Amino acid sequence: MELEEMKTLWAEMSAAVEKQKKITDSIIIKMTRSNYRNKINKIRVPEFIGSFLCMAGAALIVFNFRQLTTWYLAACGIVACLVLVLLSFLSVMAIRSLQRINITDNNYRESLLAYAKGRLQFVRIQKINFCLAALLMVTILPVIGELINGQDVFKKPGVWLWYAVLFPFFYWVSAWVLHKYLKIINDAETILKELGNDG
Amino acid sequence: MQNTDAFVALIKENQGLIYKVTKLYTNSKEDAEDLYQDIVYQLWKSLGTFRNESKISTWIYRIALNASITHLRKEKRKGSQLAVTEELLNKEDTKDNLQEEQFETMYAYLKKLNEVEKGIIFLYLEGKSYDEIAAITGFTASNVGTRLSRIKQKISADIKK
Repeated sequence: MELEEMKTLWAEMSAAVEKQKKITDSIIIKMTRSNYRNKINKIRVPEFIGSFLCMAGAALIVFNFRQLTTWYLAACGIVACLVLVLLSFLSVMAIRSLQRINITDNNYRESLLAYAKGRLQFVRIQKINFCLAALLMVTILPVIGELINGQDVFKKPGVWLWYAVLFPFFYWVSAWVLHKYLKIINDAETILKELGNDG
Repeated sequence: MQNTDAFVALIKENQGLIYKVTKLYTNSKEDAEDLYQDIVYQLWKSLGTFRNESKISTWIYRIALNASITHLRKEKRKGSQLAVTEELLNKEDTKDNLQEEQFETMYAYLKKLNEVEKGIIFLYLEGKSYDEIAAITGFTASNVGTRLSRIKQKISADIKK
């Protein structure tokens, strides 16, 4: 199938599509409204929930900070609190990085550029998120142990077993997720390379 | 308040175009439905900003292609918010199975192209001139020509595989 042959076939298909016009007025009107709600559901709610949970966790630590009586528990509390605030901020940033395309004013080239750059930025933020999540995992366990159970987990002999189990699991999840991002990075870089070649 | 009747007429007149774009940029019925709705919504939202500086068809192509790019980044959802599959995704009124198969084969080759190439080839197949493609995409007309010949080679090579 050559390009010219494809063009003929495309024209035949266009004619076939034109014959099948079925869409009704009410569906069109419904679409202009329901999509607005979809957007709110898709973007705002996860953004809100993620940030809210992180901020709630940080607030819980701040309000109960006095219970962290030893220097190492206090240090874990401060680090966990900072990580939670950062994660909250980054979750908003990650979503914003994907929302920069101006559909109304951009041309196709500008939209593709914004899309590819947004994807790369999103992956960068996700990588930082993973590092922060690892740090949070280390620091939150003693804090939660103290705040919820009133136990200093550093004084418990079995605590390191938790880390021994959790770390390989976390490492495996991180490797899997980063591998998944490779395709996104490659696709975005291909687009940027392609756009860099135009005159 | 925008003129709803005029907008409905505009969508009805261009529903074939929207259908073809959604089919090119998606791989499942659910995704196609989502994108169809998204394009209609974006057209509705942007209608007020349309100034008669360009042809309305140029504007529709631009918005539809831009919406398709933004759709690429969205997570697949399990189902569409609007259960109007049959009405939205009307299949081509094909003469026979062979023709339908040909359409599917053509789409399969087109879907293998990257996003930059997809937009350009779509407009070319829609019968747009190099200048019109340039106006919609933001590439220069000569660059559109260069890219099209590269796409042609790519498709030929893919067919020979």
